[in-house]
Amino acid sequence: MMLEMKGVSASYDAVQAIRDVSLEVNEGEIVCLIGANGAGKSTTLKVISGLLRPNAGEVIFEGKQIQKTKPEEIVRLGISHVPEGRRVLPGLTVRENLELGASVRKGLSKADLNKEIEHQYELFPDLGRLRNALGWTLSGGQQQMLGIARGLMARPKMLMMDEPSLGLAPIIVKQVLETTKRISKEFGTTVLLVEQNASMALSISNRGYVMETGRITMSGTSKELLSNPQVNEAYLGGRSRKLKG
Amino acid sequence: MSGLAILGQNVFSGIAIGGVYALLALGIALIYRSTNVTNFAQGDITMLGAYALYILLEQLGLPYPIAFLLAIVVMGIFGWLFQRFVYYPLRNRSFLPVIIATIGAGILFQNVALVVFGSIPRKVNPVFASGGFTVGGVYFDLQYIVILVVTAALFVFQYLFFEHTSLGKKMQATAQDKTMAQLLGIPVALMIAFTFIYSTILGAIGGMLVAPIYFVTNRMGSTLGLKAFAACICGGFGDVRGALIGGIAIGLIEALGAAYIAPVYKDAFPFLLLLVFLLVRPQGIFGEKVSEKA
Repeated sequence: MMLEMKGVSASYDAVQAIRDVSLEVNEGEIVCLIGANGAGKSTTLKVISGLLRPNAGEVIFEGKQIQKTKPEEIVRLGISHVPEGRRVLPGLTVRENLELGASVRKGLSKADLNKEIEHQYELFPDLGRLRNALGWTLSGGQQQMLGIARGLMARPKMLMMDEPSLGLAPIIVKQVLETTKRISKEFGTTVLLVEQNASMALSISNRGYVMETGRITMSGTSKELLSNPQVNEAYLGGRSRKLKG
Repeated sequence: MSGLAILGQNVFSGIAIGGVYALLALGIALIYRSTNVTNFAQGDITMLGAYALYILLEQLGLPYPIAFLLAIVVMGIFGWLFQRFVYYPLRNRSFLPVIIATIGAGILFQNVALVVFGSIPRKVNPVFASGGFTVGGVYFDLQYIVILVVTAALFVFQYLFFEHTSLGKKMQATAQDKTMAQLLGIPVALMIAFTFIYSTILGAIGGMLVAPIYFVTNRMGSTLGLKAFAACICGGFGDVRGALIGGIAIGLIEALGAAYIAPVYKDAFPFLLLLVFLLVRPQGIFGEKVSEKA
């Protein structure tokens, strides 16, 4: 098992954000975490990447407890967190953003770095075209691509993506998804995906967890979840479809 | 002296002194960018830099280059201590406690300097003993030329370092988005410490450059610091180009105002410019109106 959370609770000051969360991610899997806004999905990722220290529970990555490890060390262990809202560095160019993505990798030669950046340009052609553009000038979709490409530059064992579809046009969402799948295959990268867009997330993942008000309420293979009537009603627009029909 | 020579003279000295304001302003801007906090002790750090040079050069009798470099090293260490004890303990608080802490630190530095050096102004010799030369009626003081050369060199260094080195880019990333910098594995606390060290050195160099022009006193930093602060606002707070242009603008208006309007109000003109900017263009020359980017 690559990542395991056991009974993790975390809060922002006095506000409890997640309670007793347990989940598992196996090597090579795409696992999604779905649920409504404010359900605790992003908080879960923040706990894993070390941005938020849990009050209780354990986070175990490749057999090692990491719930007290600093974020800058967790990246070095092989977890790359592409946070919500893309967080492209606005005053640096596309290329500089990508270079910084690889800054955790000691002993990466300049030639290899260039080769890998070129490879990202192949995966995301827009980034190649805009390599010298400053981060803030990119469109939402381009920023999302850059966020993911930058996350990959760390050559993570596990890539965590927070709401990659947020604010993107459906066609771009499709692109981002296809790229995610390709990445998982090509690099053998394990992916933990957080999404409000449940049907989209379940369509590319192997397994999923459903979160509600800080707890995990359901889990299963993506197929099971897709056909689960409760999930269908709450997250896949089942009821509204019925009403329309 | 012809009218043109008088103008030339004042423009020359205005730009040179403006260069010192620009160095201090750059220090304030860099700290502001990486921590969102204004360091009000920057002026008093300048004063300490001047005293450091005074001790090494005048009291210990070291040669100028060695005294200068040693003072930079000492002030760099001081910059680390400053961030460790003034900024670091308050880093997770809002900006206000930190700003108050920097004001308090400035007052402390002034008074410690008073205890150690007394209230008698100290004199520091200029870099070159020969004084200067005259071209077209304008007297070019060598110390002013040193100021111009050092300021230009430091701004070129600033550009090369921040735009073309990996460490510089990491420091930029830290200034732009601390959380993201952490997620990229950048040691944010260390980058901020570097920023304080560098900014302290910039302020101290400013103090060492003006030490031979003004006398060194424990109060010399307060006006210098306030003018550098005014330079930051006029140029656009947190902007590197703004620090340079703002500093030179403040230096020029001070020299020209004193020459053509009234010398007694020499120290008032920079703040007049500041007021004009606050009324007409509060974001400064290069500043953008503050807004959250989606």
